[in-house]
Amino acid sequence: MSNGVKNKMSKDNSSKSQELDQYTASVLQNGISRRSFLTRAAIGTGGLAVAGLGVGTASATTAPVVVGEQFGEVGGATVSFLPKPIAIADADIASTQTFDVIVVGAGASGVPAALSAREAGASVACLQKQAFAVSQGNTGSGVDLKTSDKSAVEALVNRLMADNQHRSHPGLIRKWAYNSGEAVSWTIDRIKQGGGQVEDQGTEPQHGIHGIADKGDRLNFVTSFCGPKPYTTGDGMRALAKTAEKAGVKFFYNTPAKQLIQDKSGKVLGVIAQTRDGKYHKFMAKKGVILSSGDYQNNKAMCDFFIPDLKNFERKQQDRTGDGFAMAYWAGGVIEPVGHTKMLHDFDAGPASMCDMPFLVVNRDGKRFVNETVEMSLMNNYLKDEHNAGHYSQVFDADYMTQAKDWPGHLYSPEELKNYMPEEPGEKKGVFPSIANTYKADTLEELAKKLECDPKNFVATVKRYNELCKKGKDEDFGKKASRMVPVLKPPFYGIHRRMRISTICSGILVNENHQVLDADGKEIPGLFIVGNLGGGFYGGVDYPLTVFGLSLGRCYTFGYLAGKYVAGLKA
Amino acid sequence: MKKLTVIMLSLAMSIIAGSVMAKGDQLLDQTHFEKGIKCASCHGNAEPREAVTMMKCVQCHNTEKLAKKTQDMQPTNVHNNRHFGTESDCLSCHHVHQTSENACVSCHPRWGFKVP
Ligand SMILES: Cc1cc2nc3c(=O)[nH]c(=O)nc-3n(C[C@H](O)[C@H](O)[C@H](O)COP(=O)(O)OP(=O)(O)OC[C@H]3O[C@@H](n4cnc5c(N)ncnc54)[C@H](O)[C@@H]3O)c2cc1C
Ligand code: HEC
Ligand code: HEC
Ligand code: HEC
Ligand code: HEC
Repeated sequence: MSNGVKNKMSKDNSSKSQELDQYTASVLQNGISRRSFLTRAAIGTGGLAVAGLGVGTASATTAPVVVGEQFGEVGGATVSFLPKPIAIADADIASTQTFDVIVVGAGASGVPAALSAREAGASVACLQKQAFAVSQGNTGSGVDLKTSDKSAVEALVNRLMADNQHRSHPGLIRKWAYNSGEAVSWTIDRIKQGGGQVEDQGTEPQHGIHGIADKGDRLNFVTSFCGPKPYTTGDGMRALAKTAEKAGVKFFYNTPAKQLIQDKSGKVLGVIAQTRDGKYHKFMAKKGVILSSGDYQNNKAMCDFFIPDLKNFERKQQDRTGDGFAMAYWAGGVIEPVGHTKMLHDFDAGPASMCDMPFLVVNRDGKRFVNETVEMSLMNNYLKDEHNAGHYSQVFDADYMTQAKDWPGHLYSPEELKNYMPEEPGEKKGVFPSIANTYKADTLEELAKKLECDPKNFVATVKRYNELCKKGKDEDFGKKASRMVPVLKPPFYGIHRRMRISTICSGILVNENHQVLDADGKEIPGLFIVGNLGGGFYGGVDYPLTVFGLSLGRCYTFGYLAGKYVAGLKA
Repeated sequence: MKKLTVIMLSLAMSIIAGSVMAKGDQLLDQTHFEKGIKCASCHGNAEPREAVTMMKCVQCHNTEKLAKKTQDMQPTNVHNNRHFGTESDCLSCHHVHQTSENACVSCHPRWGFKVP
């Protein structure tokens, strides 16, 4: 490990270097920024071959390097996903408006940020790429501080750090832990004011938290639920936008932000956005710009670069092209290094509460491939190839209600399962009918066809699995005997799950006030980031499901906090 | 220019063949041509020809009215959906000189819309 950061820090910013936490120091050293390119490229003239050598050995004095005219560069290579802002002449600006705060993106973090800034007295504009507020999911959570012990909250922080393979910023996790109860309750209240369909489910849905708090310690939650499906947080955010609009937030729909406006010192002064007629508009911010434009799952080059594992998976969202990444990068921000955290789920094909039940599981070839106690949220790691592309099926027989009754999770009866079966007539309730994907059949061959896997292999797999069940020893994958239940009695059931990309949750380096830091670790005046575009909150290979609804809970919380914070700055 | 010739030629051919061709298989360039719509209504008069964006389509097709017109579509009204409301990019489904496509099917595999 090089000591490059320390050197650089003590040279550029000696007073700050002492305060830098491990997370921030590491992202400054390894992250992607314009500055990291300049220093790395300066190491040698030979380009790629030497660029990989220890960054720390390079002196910080940068030889003049020709930066690509159009794109950002990493290690000497041009990266198409970081297009340099084009020059837009003042003559081409159709209108200019000034607000205290400009929020970019009306999703799970942006709408709360806009409303909270407005409630704190700021004038606010929210620019939105799509035709209305858009977001996904149902559940967003926070810690109920009033009914939790501090030692338990700290134990939760510790657990989330471990979930994140210890790569996240504990300060940001604490920021969520100690503010989320208030923020999520506020969000629920304001969604209701807008006529939205939302409730606080408390600690009940939080099955993953058992055993975290020490004996006798209390750990409780505010769990907001926008639903049931097909109602989602998207609808919830549209209700929240109504409340915000009433409070005076100005929304500009079909108006994607294109670039940031900065002065010579690097201070961010505003945003240039484009309407559908091709015209450009300036939105000047007296106090600050909050970027909340979400992830980059629809930007293929960017995904290939930061998470090559995603190559073959389908996406769940549209229009998430990582616009905020390019904007923050060119403003001097630092993107977390390669190895971003992904979220691939399917809670819709069958009951969510059965997704982690360790029934027999087969891939598209009809073959067993894993110890089925691996959670649904991690299954994608076994299905990265082009052929399987995230598809697998859970399989069980007519006796599942008795055989699996002691397993963790919650079983749906055969009657209830019909709600998830496209072949069953009648109206479906509480599900997305078009993506529900559960099947029933009287023979194994027939079931295999419905699950779109090879019938011959499938029958052989079931035969082998039944033998292992009988033996009580899983010699193929080491699953415990108590989880080995045979597939013998018709009708047979299958839930065909498709792991698709829900979101990517790594982003740009920010401090605990959600302010963007430059490559020297210094705050960029006027620039803030919330939601999945913000870094430091995750770090593992996959998003953790310990706290159900952590992602939306963090988005609401940081939106709420950042809105208030920026509104409180001097104009 | 080759593309242009192909378009002109195939348009002329299909007009001759028009009466025998089922309307469902017709490309949108012919549908528009039949209604007397000029190339310039979409592409503008400038040279080189402007690329056509959704803005052009909605100058003639009011999205609210369109959504009303197709409100009974089963299983769902593509022109008013939960992702983009009435403002989906027309060109993600409708093509003009090529066969149109169903932009929902990749994520909603059982929705077999036939896009004119
Ligand atoms: C199907 C599904 C289910 C999920 N379920 C859950 C759940 O139950 N619980 C949970 O915690 N998490 C869930 N998630 C994850 C959660 O939805 C996201 O983490 C969260 O929405 C991220 O919020 P965000 O504000 O960062 O981005 P988003 O909510 O995606 O909002 C970003 C917004 O920015 C806009 N935008 C993009 N570019 C620009 C631009 N250039 N200018 C202006 N606007 C722009 C977009 O149109 C979008 O509306 C789910 C995700 C999916 C896909
Ligand atoms: C209803 C709107 C519309 C009309 C009318 C129309 N076009 Fe197009 N044109 C498009 C769109 C949209 C595309 C992009 C590809 C596609 O959707 O087929 C396109 C693409 C093209 C292209 C290829 C791309 C390019 O610009 O080089 C050519 C050539 C073309 N059009 C020529 C014509 C000519 C000639 C006419 C008149 C006969 C015509 N178009 C009428 C909408 C239209
Ligand atoms: C200059 C006006 C005009 C423009 C521009 C225009 N259309 Fe049309 N379009 C019409 C008219 C007129 C009709 C026939 C009447 C109707 O169905 O509304 C039509 C019909 C259609 C139809 C119905 C075809 C069918 O088989 O029923 C579709 C789909 C369509 N247009 C799509 C588009 C798209 C996509 C664009 C943009 C690329 C576009 N139109 C641009 C005028 C226009
Ligand atoms: C998801 C794909 C999709 C998108 C996006 C889409 N359409 Fe359509 N469109 C269809 C389908 C499918 C039909 C056939 C409707 C039916 O079967 O009744 C259709 C029909 C039409 C018709 C004929 C309607 C009628 O009944 O006379 C028009 C006009 C049209 N579309 C215009 C547009 C315009 C303009 C846009 C953009 C604002 C657009 N469409 C966006 C799929 C789409
Ligand atoms: C990139 C994937 C993707 C594409 C493309 C897509 N959807 Fe969806 N759609 C989803 C997801 C994920 C959900 C469920 C969660 C949500 O609400 O976002 C959904 C839910 C829906 C629902 C409610 C659920 C149901 O089963 O009734 C409707 C309606 C819908 N989409 C319509 C459309 C239409 C119309 C199109 C084409 C214009 C489309 N979608 C294209 C991903 C997609």
